[in-house]
Amino acid sequence: MKTITVSFLLNGKKTSVTSLPNRTLLDVLREDLGLTGAKDACGGEGECGACTVIMNGNPVNSCMIFIGQIEGTQITTIEGLMEKGEFHRLQKSFVEAGAVQCGFCTPGAILTAKTLLDNNPHPTDHEIREGLSGNLCRCTGYNKMIDAIHLAEQGGLDD
Amino acid sequence: MQEFNYHRPITITELKECLSIPGARILAGGTDIVPRMRQGKFSVPALVDTSGVKAMRFIEDQGSEIVLGALTTHQEAADSPLLQNINPALVTAAESIGCQQTRCRGTLGGNIANASPAADTLPALLIFDATLLLQSLEGERRIPLEEFLLGPGQTDLLEGEFIHSISFKPMIGSWGAAFIKIGKRSGMAISVANTAVAVELNDKGKISDIRIALGSVAPTVIRCRKIEQALLGKEPEPALMKEIHKACQEEISPITDIRSSAEYRNHAAEVIIHRALESAVEQAKERGR
Repeated sequence: MKTITVSFLLNGKKTSVTSLPNRTLLDVLREDLGLTGAKDACGGEGECGACTVIMNGNPVNSCMIFIGQIEGTQITTIEGLMEKGEFHRLQKSFVEAGAVQCGFCTPGAILTAKTLLDNNPHPTDHEIREGLSGNLCRCTGYNKMIDAIHLAEQGGLDD
Repeated sequence: MQEFNYHRPITITELKECLSIPGARILAGGTDIVPRMRQGKFSVPALVDTSGVKAMRFIEDQGSEIVLGALTTHQEAADSPLLQNINPALVTAAESIGCQQTRCRGTLGGNIANASPAADTLPALLIFDATLLLQSLEGERRIPLEEFLLGPGQTDLLEGEFIHSISFKPMIGSWGAAFIKIGKRSGMAISVANTAVAVELNDKGKISDIRIALGSVAPTVIRCRKIEQALLGKEPEPALMKEIHKACQEEISPITDIRSSAEYRNHAAEVIIHRALESAVEQAKERGR
């Protein structure tokens, strides 16, 4: 099997990786690029959303994408959410609302929440539940995540 | 993880050439194939990645027909104002698939080629008598979706062929179309039963055209001609439930499987057809005003 070279924008930086084509974006992020925010929780079935990253503005499961499929795309991982040394308002609001317990689903949930707010700045509870339906959490019972998203939507926290 | 030769065509001509490689398999969104390959349940000698083929990702109003590129994602279909006007059942079906993560990757062509008996977009396409344009290095052909679906995971797609686009004619007059599904939970669940119903009312308020499709109750998603026949010409009123019940018993014989029992599916099918019909009739009356 021949390796392929794939170029894409990762967290705003031009990135090029050489990999066997039978590896997923999740494999490459974690094993080659050292970005371990995206997690494999369901065994690569696309059920849990812990591996969610943002691809061209949409949340996607990085475990279901072969590396060749990301040629020319823009990828944002949880590691790319900080700006100028500041955490993103969703990262702050998740902490403030207690929406983080074991933390395994958190990167995926925050990235999904970001795409939700980017497209719909003031979502209803129902829209948040719909939006997060692909991100399973076994700790929080989701209510605190909904609180966190409302908190961020209202402008976040004043530090 | 198994090995395969990887190809990434950009043009449709390159796509045709890549798919002419013996055993080559097309990769669209990957929401079905990638997990199955990771689990070792599926292997191919050559994988043809379509992520570079931009020319098959469109939703177009071509006057007499609406044409959807096979690589259009479920999310793009769900967000399309054009489709909302022309086929609201398809929009509801696309919205109901999986979660955002899978809707942003999964494609209409992939849903069709996979030919799951529980596929959600298929009933909404069947009620519009959708036709597929299949292409290969040899040429191209058109086939009605209904004839394309042969069994669970089985289609009329030949070696080297791919689905280029899906087309259907808009309905005119006082019409409505709705999709309803039942799953174990509202997010992520595979349908236990699903249905799409399209109806047209004449100026006397009677059903002058009716099309019903059901999923998860047979080896493929099916059009329900017996139920359609039983309802044609009738006044759309609650008493139609009796007709639906009778015709449904003749029309379908679902199985018991991991997701549900035959008995439940029988009952659920009748109920969701009735509900979808009510919703479609409501739209038709609205348009008739």
